[in-house]
Amino acid sequence: MTIQITINGNPCSSEAGESVLTIARREGVEIPAFCHDETLAPYGACRMCLVDVVSGPKKGVTTACTLQAMDGLEIITDTPEILRLRKVLLELYLAQAPKSKTIKALAAQHGIKKTRFAKKVHPEDPLQGQCILCGLCVRVCRDIMGAGAISYIGRGQFTEINTPFYEENDACLGCGACAQVCPTQAIAFEDITGTRVMKSWSETKVPLKQCAACGNYFAPVPFTAYAYEKLDPAIRDEIRDLCPDCRRKEMTRKAILLRAEGVGR
Amino acid sequence: METARLNEIVESYPTPTGKILGILEQVQREDGYLQKDVLKTLAEKLEVPLSELYSIATFYSFFTLEKLGRHVVTVCMGTACHVRGAPALADTLKALLKVEEDETTQDGKFQLTTADNDFTVTSARCFGACSMAPVLRVDNKIFGYMTPERIPAVLKQFGWEEDTHQNA
Amino acid sequence: MGCIGYCREEPLVNIHLPGKPLIILHRVTEKDAEEIVRAVAAGEVPRKLSLCRINDWDPLVGEKLLFGEGFQDVPAYAEIPYFAPQRKVVLRDAGLINPEDIDEYIAVGGYSALYKALTRMSPDDVIEEVKASGLRGRGGAGFPTGLKWGFTKKEKSSTKYIICNADEGDPGAYMNRNEMESDPHMILEGMLIGAYAIGAREGVLYIRAEYPLAIQRLEKAIGQARDYGLLGENIFGADFSFTLTIAEGAGAFVCGEETALIASIEGETGRPRPRPPFPAQKGLWGMPTNINNVETWTNIPVIINRGGAWFSKIGGERNSGTKVFSLVGEVDRVGLAEVPLSTPIRTMVYDIGNGGIEGKAIKAVQTGGPSGGCIPASLFDTPMDYEHLTAVGSIMGSGGVVVMDAGTSMVDTARFFIGFTNEESCGKCVPCREGLKHMLMILDKTLAGKATETDMQTLEELSGVIKNASLCGLGQTAPNPVLSTLRYFRDEYNTLLKKARK
Repeated sequence: MTIQITINGNPCSSEAGESVLTIARREGVEIPAFCHDETLAPYGACRMCLVDVVSGPKKGVTTACTLQAMDGLEIITDTPEILRLRKVLLELYLAQAPKSKTIKALAAQHGIKKTRFAKKVHPEDPLQGQCILCGLCVRVCRDIMGAGAISYIGRGQFTEINTPFYEENDACLGCGACAQVCPTQAIAFEDITGTRVMKSWSETKVPLKQCAACGNYFAPVPFTAYAYEKLDPAIRDEIRDLCPDCRRKEMTRKAILLRAEGVGR
Repeated sequence: METARLNEIVESYPTPTGKILGILEQVQREDGYLQKDVLKTLAEKLEVPLSELYSIATFYSFFTLEKLGRHVVTVCMGTACHVRGAPALADTLKALLKVEEDETTQDGKFQLTTADNDFTVTSARCFGACSMAPVLRVDNKIFGYMTPERIPAVLKQFGWEEDTHQNA
Repeated sequence: MGCIGYCREEPLVNIHLPGKPLIILHRVTEKDAEEIVRAVAAGEVPRKLSLCRINDWDPLVGEKLLFGEGFQDVPAYAEIPYFAPQRKVVLRDAGLINPEDIDEYIAVGGYSALYKALTRMSPDDVIEEVKASGLRGRGGAGFPTGLKWGFTKKEKSSTKYIICNADEGDPGAYMNRNEMESDPHMILEGMLIGAYAIGAREGVLYIRAEYPLAIQRLEKAIGQARDYGLLGENIFGADFSFTLTIAEGAGAFVCGEETALIASIEGETGRPRPRPPFPAQKGLWGMPTNINNVETWTNIPVIINRGGAWFSKIGGERNSGTKVFSLVGEVDRVGLAEVPLSTPIRTMVYDIGNGGIEGKAIKAVQTGGPSGGCIPASLFDTPMDYEHLTAVGSIMGSGGVVVMDAGTSMVDTARFFIGFTNEESCGKCVPCREGLKHMLMILDKTLAGKATETDMQTLEELSGVIKNASLCGLGQTAPNPVLSTLRYFRDEYNTLLKKARK
């Protein structure tokens, strides 16, 4: 069902129940958010996407990601109150992840150059002083990849994200989706001849697969196994064991052959 | 914990409601802590990632990953106990049992075990025995209206002697 | 036996001789046993141990209990200052029946409300009756119970759940523990009636593991109810079946929050989930779920039996019924006291509690646990109900009343609570996780005499941000102890500031 909502005075159409954050971004309204990804369920942890509901079932400040669109809903994204809350939140983030360029840049955009709060000091932080505990890595690993290699450890201010017992974890697919979704680029991994080392995740080592054609290492073995399982068997058998480059070449070669056959006929 | 016993505990939960926490609680009660191997076995048995079980074990304060002493002395840190002198009880216990904190955490929580593994001193948020504040619990026994002066007598009931721990 | 709630006078012993009033002995020790036996054998009671006598007792849902006459020199129950201002509705059986015996519960009218609901009322009738009673959630938020039930009832789903939140987490509060230990069947009956009204076939009792006796008694009660056919298929021959499971909490205050509680039952860490969807739509295992606190459930049988109109006459405006408070801290008579809602704080602290220990002056009370605030003695005329306690910067919460005398530092008290919520924060959202940490640092700095006026401003600003920007109720209320002490005891902060100490 298509409905009408109002963002900062401008009417927008959307589907009922759609996340207001999604709608706002589609409409080009900038709302910052760290813990949101369109492929995952709304989480409501980073609190950056706070908006003010001026007309709707429950008026007041709430997060846009968890707010569901309904006809007649009216929100404002930049009231003085919202900006004030966001600024203090950014100060808290600056203290928590003092090394993060993303946080510094967003804070600067909001006119915040430094934080009043004591900066977190963690000399051996595997997440390089950049993690803000948004949980995207944990959720993508568990909910999308189905691996559950990492999780939250502890609670409250002592919460960390890592592998169980801070040990190498063979549940890791080595896919790097965690690093991909991380809003602060806190997660580090490195490919060292035939092995992917998940540096942030207790140095978990994942073997890389060698291309059957060119011999280059191209993807983690457990990840390819995971991905092949999801593929159409016909395609899977064609591309198995090839790196993306060789796969493209192989596809092109086949296409040419096919066309040649067509012409021949 | 023996695998047979672990299986028994798992099987005592026919429905998923309250199952995972219930199993871990029973293991904690019987073993005195959650061992890595037991968690690994459970992860396979219950078909949940080990990371989830580890997450639960470190989230809920009921669970410990290190073995507790033969007797567990818990100081209630609830509001009524706090206003009636619980912090002094904790200090006295630490001094008597000669357990030192490596580092004082900001939240004031502690879990300290004596060198001979006889006693673990720890804190809890509230036993709901507020009328007898301040309160101590040794194993499953509650001691109300506690004062620092009465602590030695309580500990003696559990085999503590002033001198044996002097040089521990 | 359960507990009548006069904890200061414990241990208590009840004596009932045929045709005589029930006598409650107090401060009994092992040494008194012989004297008690000798007196009883002679048809007497030991006078110096006698606290009070009860000639008759109204269990509200059943026939009046007539114990007998005599022992006129022993003060009557109603003459005891601790009991006089109280009105027992929830705790009407507590201390008078054996909580481990279903027959005793039935003898005082137990399960008659369930019978009435199942045989003479439709689910809608039940909900209307609860609405008419004006009962509001006793967990602290005070949401109208009948309205809440209606939300889950209207969901179309073949599976629905009801949950009893018995994760009593507020430090300094133990009324739920006594309600479970003294009268477990009343909770079961309340839940059964609720399940019938809502259309749920399954219920879960979520109890904190720190309450082993409560768990044991509820397990026993469930077993007895099952044997009597009060749990299971076609209860009282009606087209209504219900099963009840106990799930144990594992020490996380945040699990009192509904979505965290559900996550915990499902075997996850107790991190609150965003709402919507609300539990009434998608709760336990994704099914419509209704959660109420222990004390809310215990109020249901009497409402059904005596009627919503009867119930709504107890208490104050929009605050019907009674509330059990745990009166603890620096107060002379500690215990559990049940009073009509809107009873002034003064009555609780002075009439029931008899003021400070050894006559010391009382400075403040703290209500509502870590989500509540400190109320100064100058505001002790404030009625104890949802609106009035909120208006003075505290909350009713689950019913903890911690009394503080002149010797208590209010800054230290505020620090205690922030220390508690900081420790219990799940760590999911940044204002609560990071904000409370920094509040605690500032409070420590203050107590060490190193804070400045600027720190006080930061403390206040942080409080506001945590209140307005946190994900769940834990964070949204966590700054209350600081805000209320800043409001009423600012001078105590000021004397600790750096410049003031020069």
